Amino acid sequence: MQSLLSFDQAPPLAGPLRFFLTAPAFAAGAGLLLLLLGPGLLASRWTPGALAFTHLLTAGFMLQTMVGALLQILPVATGAGVEHPLGVARAVHGLFTGGLLLLLGGFLSFRPLYFQAAVGLFAAGLLIFLWAAGRALARVPASSPIQWALKLAAAGLAITVLLGLVLASALGFSLPWPLLQITGIHLSWGLVGWGVLLLSGVAYVVVPMFLLTPSFPGWLSRILAPGLFLALALWSGAEAAGLALAPWLGGVLMAGCGVFAGVTLWLLVRSKRARLDATHRYWRLGLGSGLAALTLLALGLLMPSLGGWNGWPLLFGVLILVGGFMSVISGMLYKIVPFLIWLHLQNAGQGQVLAPNMKKIMPESAMGRQMACHAAALALLAAAVLWPEWLARPAGAALLVSSLWLMRNLIGGVQVYRRHLQTIRGQLAASS
Amino acid sequence: MTPIRDYMSADHRRCDDLFAAVEQSLTRSGTAAADLFEAFCHATLAHFQAEEELLFPAFEQATGIRMGPTQMMRLEHQQMRTLMDEARAALVSGDEEGYSGAAETLLILMQQHNMKEENVLYPMCDENLAAYQAELMPLLQKATGSERS
Repeated sequence: MQSLLSFDQAPPLAGPLRFFLTAPAFAAGAGLLLLLLGPGLLASRWTPGALAFTHLLTAGFMLQTMVGALLQILPVATGAGVEHPLGVARAVHGLFTGGLLLLLGGFLSFRPLYFQAAVGLFAAGLLIFLWAAGRALARVPASSPIQWALKLAAAGLAITVLLGLVLASALGFSLPWPLLQITGIHLSWGLVGWGVLLLSGVAYVVVPMFLLTPSFPGWLSRILAPGLFLALALWSGAEAAGLALAPWLGGVLMAGCGVFAGVTLWLLVRSKRARLDATHRYWRLGLGSGLAALTLLALGLLMPSLGGWNGWPLLFGVLILVGGFMSVISGMLYKIVPFLIWLHLQNAGQGQVLAPNMKKIMPESAMGRQMACHAAALALLAAAVLWPEWLARPAGAALLVSSLWLMRNLIGGVQVYRRHLQTIRGQLAASS
Repeated sequence: MTPIRDYMSADHRRCDDLFAAVEQSLTRSGTAAADLFEAFCHATLAHFQAEEELLFPAFEQATGIRMGPTQMMRLEHQQMRTLMDEARAALVSGDEEGYSGAAETLLILMQQHNMKEENVLYPMCDENLAAYQAELMPLLQKATGSERS
């Protein structure tokens, strides 16, 4: 009964918004880094620039938006809100941002002190976030597929960050740990254990509801999250122990992710919405890129000539991070942010002053043009892996522009919020 | 056994289909979007009424919780009624962009509202109203206008 009473515990607007508004700055930072460092960044996945670029997208853009969205979605999806949402949001946002900046300093300078300090901030941010989200999730039984997916995704995030802390500690304190092996396990947990699991949990809800598609098949939503989590855990053990079973388990993981992306795409094609808005097109782009990334990964594992090419992991990274996760997340921001602004304005108006509708808060045309720019940046980045000398800097510039444009669109919504809040205050004062 | 959750969730999907029909009619000329919109409003308002006059009072009486989730749901019903009026006015005056903005906002509000009801409130109703289901279910079916078993 207690959890029911928390419907109105949706966090204040400033809680999730701080994550959503600053996240594009990290993606813009990745674009700027590529623009400044040029083709050298793309020489291999292990260059300091490539490591910094990757973490700006993952521990910057993806982590921040996903944490903000989780704080927002918990009360709606499970009936249990996070306690002290604003305080948690401020602390986690500050610690993750600070930790990421130090981590970037570490990658680019290789000074141990930066890694040591980054470990401290990320560990503190993770503890606070898991404490808050864990308490909320623990109050609800994991009865529905979305609740399972959210719980396992939170565990996946914890494992990802813990493995990241192990790696940063090894670099910060010169410990003789097997860095390459741990990196592979760290990124698999980040992409699948946190990324795909959270995305699937959110997709079960938002794809049928906002894009009016048929529901996800029950068998898929029931087995996907526990199945992927189990396969990932088994794969990690087999990989760490060097067992011959590891590639087979890796194949199971890839197949699971592929089925999820394929089924979601199939549902999207059956949407009853008459028009494809920016969110819908972003989902299609994201899932298509995700499938392309999985195909590339599988081909590289089967064909040593492709797998041995330096550009293979880079192209996979571009397709899965910029093409897959960034696309879907941007599409979701274009629904979540205008809706939250509308909701808070509607409540502020107390039924006497009407809020402008979502498309007046964020015009469809602005979102559609930014999406086209993002798609162009993705194409340039993929081509830059093949022809770095020619295209690395233009691709960096395109990612910088599309990310700043995303930020501009989101800030435009906040400006409408501020202006309208003043109108509401004026009208309510006049009528009282 | 979750008859309330099953029936009322199915009624949500019926309203979703009526909403989608309006949007699809706007892309084809010659079909009456205004009539389809009225059919959507009629079904949705009947659903609200069934909840506000039958389900919520029964839940409140059985649990003693009057100012909790049901109050929040009533407030959201009111917000959705306002958005329906905004969308209807835009549709009648031929303002397609105005309709699309109000309808999009209505859709998202409606869906997150449905999710809260389907995931939390309806299961609680099934749990707390098990003894009254025999008399409550036919009344809900009659009030929502679909009278399915």
